Amino acid sequence: MIKKLFPLLFLAMILAVGCNQGIKENAEEATADTVLLTVATFDTTASQYVDQPVWIDGTVFHTCKHGGKRMFLVDGNDSIMVEVTTGPDIVMFDEALVGSRVHLLGLLKEQRIDEKYLNDWEAQVNAPEENHDAGIHEGSTGHEDQPKEAKLNQINSLRNQLSESGKDHLSFYSIEAISFEVIQVDDEEIVIEEE
Amino acid sequence: MKTKTLRRWNNALHRDIGYLAFGMTIIYALSGIILNHFKAGDFQHPDYRKQYGEFRVQPPTGGVADKTYALSVLNQVNEADEYKSLVTGKGYVQIFFTNGSVYMDLATGKAQLEKKTPRYLLKEFNLLHYNNIKNWFTWFSDLYAVALILLAFTGLFILRGRNGILGRGAWLTAAGILIPAIIILIYA
Repeated sequence: MIKKLFPLLFLAMILAVGCNQGIKENAEEATADTVLLTVATFDTTASQYVDQPVWIDGTVFHTCKHGGKRMFLVDGNDSIMVEVTTGPDIVMFDEALVGSRVHLLGLLKEQRIDEKYLNDWEAQVNAPEENHDAGIHEGSTGHEDQPKEAKLNQINSLRNQLSESGKDHLSFYSIEAISFEVIQVDDEEIVIEEE
Repeated sequence: MKTKTLRRWNNALHRDIGYLAFGMTIIYALSGIILNHFKAGDFQHPDYRKQYGEFRVQPPTGGVADKTYALSVLNQVNEADEYKSLVTGKGYVQIFFTNGSVYMDLATGKAQLEKKTPRYLLKEFNLLHYNNIKNWFTWFSDLYAVALILLAFTGLFILRGRNGILGRGAWLTAAGILIPAIIILIYA
């Protein structure tokens, strides 16, 4: 009997997973000291909170269509985008989130790009089957369908930035999501809270 | 006698694994078709069907778009009630509504409408195919893959005689191996 019902039970299970994905409201890893970052100041403040939980509010501008493993937050304009990746408790960022305002808790991560990383990435881009997870994701529209030439240009541009910086690496910051909730915004006058 | 018992076990195993693997096979096969065409560039998104359209609007006064302006744009496509937000960029504004967005060139007033409809059920199947759940699902899908291997091997020995693996079955099995082998030799 169980064997006969297995396909139905399994289908019910995956539907339940599908319906519950994404939006979670728990904030168990946040404390009263957890800082609220803003998209506008993210680039200048992120380095102070590496590997620490942070809150951030922003509008979802883009979600990755290759499995929804990352999304990008903006705040009114596209000049600064904050990359957010799925954490262990979030299976994906649904495309339906695009355009929604979210209040998100996550761990701030640093990705260091050095000469070796760029060489490996270049080899990956030149390989017949490219790994989509490799490289820096910018979040601009169409970046996932970047042709090989554009990716190689991006690598060369990063090489130039690296040599101009005088350091042995460049740092890129992102947030690994722990939980988030969609918040309602009554009008476009979004108040950005300073730290 | 011993061969007969082995074949009986083989067939029973094939039958029961076949029943168990049915659900996952359908899930992987259907989402496989979707992801295959997504990868080939036939679909813009694996989870959503997208439709596009173009229209023209009066650019905003002073070139600055606000919510009132965004609502007037959405009103032209009957989506004003579904407004979510707007994001501005260099020379453009993107207005989001529940099931899509309008990308508008602020200088020319040329607007591109994108409407999306979820591929219900297939969307959930894709979630499994991409292994977004990770952890325990990785092991579960590995188990399913082992079940498929067992199905393939036990399937070879179901029939005896001229339609079995020593007859017609041998030719068909060889063809099934040769076709991907040739493709790999050409493209890999």
